[in-house]
Amino acid sequence: MKEIRIPALARVEGHGNITVQIAKNKVQNVLLNIPEGPRLFETLVIGKTPSEVVNIVPRICAICSVSHRYAAIRALERALDIKETKATNALRTLMHFGEMIESNSLHAYLLALPDFLGYPNAVAMVDKYAPAVLRALRLKKFGNHIMEVITARWTHGENAAVGGFGAVPSKQNLLDIKNQALTLLPDAEETVELFRNLHYPTSMEEGMTFMCLKPPTEKYGFVGNSVLISSGQEVPIEDYLKLTNERVVDHSNAKRCSYNDKPFVVGALARMNLLGERLHGKAAEAFKRCYSLSWIRNPLYTNLAQVIEILFCVEQIPILVDQIVKGYDKVVTDSKIQKPGGGTGKNVGAVEAPRGTLYHYYEVNRGLITGANMIIPTTQNLDAMETHIRVAAENLLHAALSSAQGTKDMNLILEMVVRSYDPCISCSVHVVNLD
Amino acid sequence: MAEKPKAGFYNLSGCSGCLLTILNCEDNLLDIFNGANVVSFLMANSANIEKDLDVAFLDGSVTTDEQEEFVTELRTRTKKIVCLGVCSCYGGVQAMEYEKNTWPTRFKKVYGAKPPTITKPFESRPVDAFIPVDYYLPGCPIDANQFLYNFARILRGLPVDIPRTPVCLECKWRENECLLLKNIMCLGPVTATGCNARCPSVNLPCVGCFGPADEGNLTSEFNLLKEKGFSFPEIERKLRMFGGVKFVNKFKTIWKKVKK
Repeated sequence: MKEIRIPALARVEGHGNITVQIAKNKVQNVLLNIPEGPRLFETLVIGKTPSEVVNIVPRICAICSVSHRYAAIRALERALDIKETKATNALRTLMHFGEMIESNSLHAYLLALPDFLGYPNAVAMVDKYAPAVLRALRLKKFGNHIMEVITARWTHGENAAVGGFGAVPSKQNLLDIKNQALTLLPDAEETVELFRNLHYPTSMEEGMTFMCLKPPTEKYGFVGNSVLISSGQEVPIEDYLKLTNERVVDHSNAKRCSYNDKPFVVGALARMNLLGERLHGKAAEAFKRCYSLSWIRNPLYTNLAQVIEILFCVEQIPILVDQIVKGYDKVVTDSKIQKPGGGTGKNVGAVEAPRGTLYHYYEVNRGLITGANMIIPTTQNLDAMETHIRVAAENLLHAALSSAQGTKDMNLILEMVVRSYDPCISCSVHVVNLD
Repeated sequence: MAEKPKAGFYNLSGCSGCLLTILNCEDNLLDIFNGANVVSFLMANSANIEKDLDVAFLDGSVTTDEQEEFVTELRTRTKKIVCLGVCSCYGGVQAMEYEKNTWPTRFKKVYGAKPPTITKPFESRPVDAFIPVDYYLPGCPIDANQFLYNFARILRGLPVDIPRTPVCLECKWRENECLLLKNIMCLGPVTATGCNARCPSVNLPCVGCFGPADEGNLTSEFNLLKEKGFSFPEIERKLRMFGGVKFVNKFKTIWKKVKK
């Protein structure tokens, strides 16, 4: 038995490794191992107040901290019968766009692009690709700036609370975000062109089922109370356990998910496959230029899907800011934190994190948490990742047998497959149902 | 020119927010990578070399046997070990139940009767529970400016310089109205500063994410909050959230005083 081992996956968040076992010139087994240490978050929130939950859960993962906060807020507000005002929704949408821009540009440019251009990291690309690296940093900084202004910090900002906001940013700070978005629009467009013209390897291609949240309006968006599946169904998020079916596996501290006993995919690629037709303006044009049927088979197109989402956000921000600033005084009044009435209830809330659908579920009894569950995008994607690794390993092994080249490129392709899912391994470990 | 100091950036059990904060220093990122010879940074780089280091930065706490072995080995080849964030400094939010003996039950609840065998996990502890640590930069996550200032100091062989004062100091500088006067449970008086009083500046109480301040008066905060009608378990629960092992150890010494 021969083993190909990639011991420490680089340019991903957290710790993972890949083992491919080969015997008699055939791939026998593929294991995506997650040794990341458990932190038992779902037990830490028990006995806490809803506002303390919102302090704690963003710490599951820094790069999707706003999404964790937002998912928890949605779940708790649904459980406690607090109605989100238009004003609060607008500010939350803006902070969520900030995270999408930051996280998608971090992943596409700093974590994924070096593979396509043949570098170990993005800083090393500066000599030859300075404009691209500087563009990446400008976009990333803009995403962080939005989170700083709305949530009071780049990461784990506490301003977004259950029931509303502690404070609303000044008109001037909001208009500054709008102006930055207008200035950065060419950067977002050039980013799409850069990623459209990359060479995407095909050795891992295999058709997949996709899922994402259905936005409440006809537009593209990142929240919703039902899930669209590429097979055509629409399922309310209350049925999230039936959609995800978590199980424990021996070789990983992260649980696994499947739907109808098959892997499925969440994230930017799923959103583009299911919602791409809803885009408007330059983002719609970019989608039409870039989209092909390979997007249902090839996870590497996640990178291209992510940069189209950056363009979508940058294009929408001026419209959103104008809307907030126009009714500014009402926004200030209407986004004040509403206190829950009874303090007892249970419900699920979901948002699209940059890397896919994120569910939070809470049971609250007289103001304290008695039950919790969180289902994380990376956990949902692990089976699909393993499938794509297996297909790539089989195809590359087959190609190696019929040429003198050997399997030397295999490691890079396998790593690119995992990286394309933008995995968040801290997130994926230990997040589970409590009875 | 003298050789650049060799630096490594590592991640244990945590949210990676402290390493992300470094990658979020967009205006200084190229300088960070130019100022030191960054030989290992798994989150951002795929060509990493594990060798003798002048300085290692650790994000996250120790929660598995593999991580314990790793930090022990890292100590033998590293001149200065720097803990980034409350996870590596004090155990982090995952250590909020430290010494309450709830970990085995909680672990079983999450993973069921047949847990994965890939590592041997245990309750979160800070890095200095296993190896001597040279410097601590607390925060959840660390503050970017505090990091950049101290990164430059460390590269020049100077010790870390962080304030010993609580959040209240910066809060007063920002001329915020005191939330304790409005009977809101704010941990500002006992929490290490360095965040620029972010939360009180948006009318929200300090949750203690920088961990206990060296010069904070814990006994007085307890008494003040009790006077305002907060219960003892409520106050302890809040302080444990980010204070972790450092809070629990401090707490032992004041426990008797407070009980009186």
